Amino acid sequence: MVPSVAYSTVATLVQIVLVVLLGPMLIGFMAKVKARAEGRVGAPINQPLRDLRKLLSKERLHARHASVVLPFAPMVILAATSVAVAISPLVTTHPLLGSSADILVIVYLLLTGSVAAALAGLDAGTAFGGMGASRAMTIGALAEPALLVAVVALSIQSGTSNLPSMISTTLTHPNWVSGPSRLLALVALVIVVIAETGRLPVDNPSTHLELTMIHEAMILEYAGPELALVTLGASMRLGLLFSLIANLFFPWGIATSGSILGLLLGITVLVAKTALVAFGVSLIEVRSAKLRLFRLPELLAGGFVLSVLAVITGLVTR
Amino acid sequence: MSTTYVGALELASGAVLVSAIMTLWRRQVRSIVTMLSLQGIALAGVAVVLATHEHDKALLATGLLVLVVKGFVVPGLLRRVSQLDPNSRESAPLVNVPASLVFAAVLIVLSYVVSSRVTSFAPTVATHLTPIGIATVLVGYFMLVTRRRAVSKIVGLILVDNGIALVTFLLTSGVPLIVELGSSLDVLLVVVVLQFLVVNMGRHLRTNELAEMKALHD
Amino acid sequence: MALLLLGLGCCVLAAAASALPRSRRVPVSAGLGAIGCAIAFAAAMRVLVTGGVESFHTTRLLPMIGLSLSIDPLGALFIVATSFVGFAACIYCIGYARGELQSRTAMALLMVFILTLLAVPVASSIVSLMFCWELMALSSMLLILTDQRHSREARSAALWYGVMTQLGAASILFGLLLLTVHGGGQTFADIRLHSTALSSTVRSFAFFLALLGFASKAGAVPLHVWLPKAHPEAPSPVSALMSSSMVAMGVYGIIRVGGDLLHGGTVWWWVTVAAFGAVSALYGALHATTSTDIKRLLAYSTIDILGLVLVGVGAAGALYDTGHPGVAQLAMMAALLLVVAHAGFKGALFLGAGSIERSTGTRDLDQLGGLIHRMPFTAALFALSACSIMAVPTLSGFSSEWLLLQGLLHGFTDRSTPTLIIMLVGVVALALTGGLTAVAFVKAFGIGFLGQARSPGAANAVDVAPSMKIAMALLVIPSIVIGVVPGLLLPLINRAATTGLATATPSPVERGTSLVLTQFRGTIEPAVLLAGLVLVLLIVWAVNRRLAQRSARRVDAWGCGRDVQTPRMQYTATSFAEPLQRVFADVLRPQSDVEVTHVAESQYYEQSLVYQNRVSDALEQHGYRPVIDAALRVGKSARRIQNGSIHRYLAFGFVALLLILVVLA
Repeated sequence: MVPSVAYSTVATLVQIVLVVLLGPMLIGFMAKVKARAEGRVGAPINQPLRDLRKLLSKERLHARHASVVLPFAPMVILAATSVAVAISPLVTTHPLLGSSADILVIVYLLLTGSVAAALAGLDAGTAFGGMGASRAMTIGALAEPALLVAVVALSIQSGTSNLPSMISTTLTHPNWVSGPSRLLALVALVIVVIAETGRLPVDNPSTHLELTMIHEAMILEYAGPELALVTLGASMRLGLLFSLIANLFFPWGIATSGSILGLLLGITVLVAKTALVAFGVSLIEVRSAKLRLFRLPELLAGGFVLSVLAVITGLVTR
Repeated sequence: MSTTYVGALELASGAVLVSAIMTLWRRQVRSIVTMLSLQGIALAGVAVVLATHEHDKALLATGLLVLVVKGFVVPGLLRRVSQLDPNSRESAPLVNVPASLVFAAVLIVLSYVVSSRVTSFAPTVATHLTPIGIATVLVGYFMLVTRRRAVSKIVGLILVDNGIALVTFLLTSGVPLIVELGSSLDVLLVVVVLQFLVVNMGRHLRTNELAEMKALHD
Repeated sequence: MALLLLGLGCCVLAAAASALPRSRRVPVSAGLGAIGCAIAFAAAMRVLVTGGVESFHTTRLLPMIGLSLSIDPLGALFIVATSFVGFAACIYCIGYARGELQSRTAMALLMVFILTLLAVPVASSIVSLMFCWELMALSSMLLILTDQRHSREARSAALWYGVMTQLGAASILFGLLLLTVHGGGQTFADIRLHSTALSSTVRSFAFFLALLGFASKAGAVPLHVWLPKAHPEAPSPVSALMSSSMVAMGVYGIIRVGGDLLHGGTVWWWVTVAAFGAVSALYGALHATTSTDIKRLLAYSTIDILGLVLVGVGAAGALYDTGHPGVAQLAMMAALLLVVAHAGFKGALFLGAGSIERSTGTRDLDQLGGLIHRMPFTAALFALSACSIMAVPTLSGFSSEWLLLQGLLHGFTDRSTPTLIIMLVGVVALALTGGLTAVAFVKAFGIGFLGQARSPGAANAVDVAPSMKIAMALLVIPSIVIGVVPGLLLPLINRAATTGLATATPSPVERGTSLVLTQFRGTIEPAVLLAGLVLVLLIVWAVNRRLAQRSARRVDAWGCGRDVQTPRMQYTATSFAEPLQRVFADVLRPQSDVEVTHVAESQYYEQSLVYQNRVSDALEQHGYRPVIDAALRVGKSARRIQNGSIHRYLAFGFVALLLILVVLA
């Protein structure tokens, strides 16, 4: 049964609003978990949202040598991420434009966001911006193979790279989820997501020492509303990736029909699932220290090999 | 043929290969040995799954033997060996880790290619998984060649042994108990000899890199 | 056909027009060339739309054997791409030509080059093909020398190119001649008819010989060494043509000989093609990330993209041989779409690089910076093309790479081992190059156009002549059209792919403007995606505007408390790529050394510090050098028989004559 266009539109809007709120909240939640694990009380979970509100009311500052790229990049990041969120099956398998929700579109939309951020880092012509951009692109380039091959492994199993179809075929084949191919792809994707969202052990989101920062160094020249947009973009990206991981490996609870109740259930389950993913990632963060930049290739190459393995086991066991 | 049997078999043999990859991936000797232990357990899992599916008591006993020897005794001994020598906390690969991992991927593809002929003779669920065993053998051999420390070399040797065991389990549904007993004891013996070797090398040469043993031949 | 001949004739006229006096030479010649390209474009488009085959034969042009031309959809597609780039290059020339390129010889050569590029895909006999092919190689080789005849690099590049292309041409010629040995004529129609009767050994041998030559032209590693030397040294419109059209002729040749003339052959042919492709893609992408010369970067990225095209062609051939014509068609269409898309964005990028070189006097990224303030229009077009090559959605790179990945993905349905290896290697190559390409082009745009100027040349740059901007803008059109409404071109691409594979399968991709796979679940609607992107952009922009009461205040960038930010403190192209260079040091083999000069009085104070870092082509250093050195040694030892004495030389001749007589007797 295919739900009506109105339903899909509502569901899509719900998804965007949800991820706009969920992303920052997940970051707050992870900070909270880390704080608790370290014996601190920690900031409230909605602290990132409060930070965003504060930033939005501040003055706009631009670096002296910056061009139009600096103010334009946050909008591109936000637009690419929002479109990726809008077409992805997060709370329902029938978002608007679900037919063109190809997983490769999502991958390349996220790449577009990274490219925009890196260009913004280079725009002001400072050492830190360049350093952050260089490192972020390096990590991105090393994470990309693992990501794409893992995605292909999942697509081979489902026979399509269309995300809603991938999720609905998983719903009808529950034994896929425990198959070795899926599990290997899961591990590879978790590594990639940690790298792409700049979490420990790849990047330390809470550092403020210029030489150790990656993402933070890249966006060092942003202030006020534009900083808010960039930060929102990054947290939406985190929210999207966590939701996709959750849905690809445990799709149950997502709304498949056109009922409002299913949609509400989908929202609740998605929040619970992503919170669980966030909890897991923050446990990894608590247990690990930031890796040296030149140890990162080892981590990401491991992810790549696991994803190649996922493809091959997928071929062997089909 | 039940799907749980297929799933469990795939999962257990997949775990064998993944733990082999992990031994290439990790640098700390301690966690390498842990991976080896996990591999032993997974290998035992393969044997047990096959045994329950085919109601083969001897295979079940072999599985239990593998569990005890390769899952716990050998890794335990290796852990003790590595603790004897404080210098060997990290493995020192001749080929850097990312390159070894990529090479491992190539090895896996290769094993898939060579075994596609084998599996076409008797296409069952178990024989379809033989590439995994062959890949484990190749990865183990690769580790044997490219790792400097004595402990890592032994880990490589055990990986080769585990891979061969996996292939035999999958192709013939188990080797006779006595053969597995023999090979497990062999490995055990090697580890014990290694323990003496490392201790003595450490005492006399202050190193445990096998490359430096060239100096001994005079 | 008459229309195409008219176009070719226009190009001949354009070459002749170079005899005009200096003041009128460039506009007239380039204008005629552009008209010729436009006519050829129309002719090829007509063939693509209607799908017929038109032939022409004359005995006047080449003595005895004659020149046979025949245009079919496969050739027409390559003509469409070439003539489009040729048109833009001619227009670009009007503003660009100065100094040597303005000379009579250079203009004539350029027009001959364009003419032969348009003639190669329609040549329909061995002699005609080799005639056009050699003329193409020769004219482009001489064009490399026009701009910097006296620089050592240009001469070395021309020499490398000349040797490689002649060896390649010889290989192709031998391969094709083998096909005619056992009966049949030398026209393609004859070969097509008789090739099935040949033994499989002869067919394979012929294919691999031709493949060597064509792959070298397509820049396939390890036969690529001429490419990163020749493309940077040629004048920019010529580089654009070489990179987007001439290199594609290699792909054309492989498809024509392997797919069309020999009807597919065996799977192992295509495994070889795909292996060439995968290795080239990786090698090219890696070198592109570490190059600092912007044209060298573009040249290596050409190797990368052409590698992906070869992966697609290999996958298509293998799938066709194993009995999956539908997916084979899909992969072939993806490869051809990528060729067309590449022609557009790489042409635009090379023209952009030419504009940079013209207005700053350098192609070294480490000397550039801040050009977006001085050349905004060029910057915008360069950014758009760079985004396209990085496969940003709704641009042409994404549409074609998506199609290629779909082809590979569904190629996994075949269960034979060789095909699976191609698919796996193809996916891995595509995955590895994706991220590296992004690094290379973020570097090219970010270091070249953003930040502060790193040299006086970049600081005083002025934007280029309008005709150069127009030409670049023209070449951005394909990026947008193929990106946003790829469906419009698909019937044409499908027709070309059908000819290439010699099948009549219905198109595996359909429907209007978007891409919809017919046999599998897979859709992208770039136009809708673009609408979504623009909508969100507008919303964010409006919100952002409302929030900001005043326009942004300009402040100094953060410098850790230090308030002077000099251009020297910025990251350069070298430092930007340094992490990746270190990660892939085993493949790239960078050479770096640090030279420290101490102050005379004390070892603890440095007077100067020189750091050098160079990444040269490791394959050239370790693969070709030994061969060249060995050849030189043989040559040197052969020198001993030459002592300059005329008596000895006469004696050699006499002895040789006697020997021959003895042998014959």
